[in-house]
Order: sequence, then C-alpha cells, then structure tokens
Amino acid sequence: MVIDFSTYYDMPRNLDSFFEELWRPTSLSQRRVAYPPVNISETEEELIVTSEIPGMDTDDVELTLNEKSLVIRGAKKNEVGNYYRQERPTGSFQRIINLNVAVQVDGIKASMKDGLLRVSLPKAKESRPMTISIDAQ
Amino acid sequence: MTNDLEKKTTPTLPRFRPNTDVLEREDGFHIFVDMPGVGKDDLSIDLRENELEIRGRAVYPREENAKALHVEFGDGEYVRTFTISDGVDREGIRASLKKGLLELFLPKAARFKPRRIEIQAG
Repeated sequence: MVIDFSTYYDMPRNLDSFFEELWRPTSLSQRRVAYPPVNISETEEELIVTSEIPGMDTDDVELTLNEKSLVIRGAKKNEVGNYYRQERPTGSFQRIINLNVAVQVDGIKASMKDGLLRVSLPKAKESRPMTISIDAQ
Repeated sequence: MTNDLEKKTTPTLPRFRPNTDVLEREDGFHIFVDMPGVGKDDLSIDLRENELEIRGRAVYPREENAKALHVEFGDGEYVRTFTISDGVDREGIRASLKKGLLELFLPKAARFKPRRIEIQAG
C-alpha cells in the first residue's frame, strides 16, 4: 500500500478522539443519532430549519411539506474506486420534522450554502402572537 | 495528549473529526472530507513532511431574535491529519471545496503508477 492508513498508525490520535468523545458538549447530546442532523429555531414570524447535508446538489435533496410535517429526503451516492476507509454515510436518508404550528405554504424559502440547508417557514397569521389593544372607556 | 497546545488556542469551538472517505483510483488517491458550513476562507491545508493536516472552522450566522427549539449540531472546528507516503507526488496534490465537501486528490508518483511491461519476442 502506498499510503499507510492502518489503524495502528493512528494510535495516538485514536486516543485523542476517545477523550474528545467523553468531553463532547452535552448540549449536542443528539449529535449523530440521526442523519442528517437538524436544528430548529423560531422567531415570532417564522420557523427556521437548518440541516448539515454536505456534498449534495440542491436537485438531489427533496423537501416535502405535509399537513403537519416537513420531510427532508435524498440519497448520497457512492464514489467510484477502491475504498480504504469509508466513514461518510451513503444511501438514502430521510428526516421528518413535526411542525407544531400552521405555516404559510406560499412563503416557504429554502437555500443551500456550504452544505447547509436552510428552510424558513413563515408562520400562518393565526399562529403568530398578537397584542390586543384595550379600549379605554 | 498530543494536541493539548492546539486546544488551548481555540478554547471556544468544539473539535470534531470529520467523516472521511479514502479511496484509490488508477490516477491516485482521492480523499473526501465532510465539512459542512466551512467556506474557502475558513479552511487550511498544510503539508509538513509526511503529515497532511486539514483544518476547517464552521461558524454559522446567528439567527436574529430566534429561539432554539432543537439542536443537533453547532459551530465547530474540524481537524484531521493524514500520513502520506513517498508514493504520492506532493507537487501534484489538489484540493477543492464544494458544497461543504472537501475533495483532495493525491496523484501517485510516476514510478508507482501501474504500467504494462512489454514482452519481447525472442
């Protein structure tokens, strides 16, 4: 073999990664449980869903909005060649994100940059917080 | 540990070993490294003797006035080192970063390329 990728060679680094696993930030406890990882945040006006899907063309990622959920679906292709090491996930993947509020279907925007998918879903008017003015009498 | 010093210099970002594929084709070795969120300016690739070190920082823009409901990933630094043998043509190493995927191409040195040996009729 021309390159030595044997696990033996990596020994000091493997120890390092073992300790890194132990010290992994607890706020990311769900990391690597499901693929692709998804973050969800909200403002008063919209829900924002972001996901790390590196190496994918926008055409290969399918977004579907059902009545109460957003589905991210796609498939990662295998590279051609003789593998020495394969850690990147391949094959089809799917994440279903339950939406607990009604969203405006026509206002949904999705974009991808540097392998990060970002979907913004504006909340329907009915589900936004509203201040009610009280008339003085 | 070997990387104690480096850890102290960037205490805020958690470090991750990015998922990597290494494969061989006839022309050389191809290394694919998943680095979502890393732009060209946040990536460094250094070759020191036999060690090829890749470092990338993924820092996502903060969403204004947003409240996090569910978190599975975050900012981080990807670090990975590869050991390269003499069979690789160092001058010919190429790297490209597209859509959060880093592709490294390590061509084989000419003398390691497969070649056909002619049989001479006697």
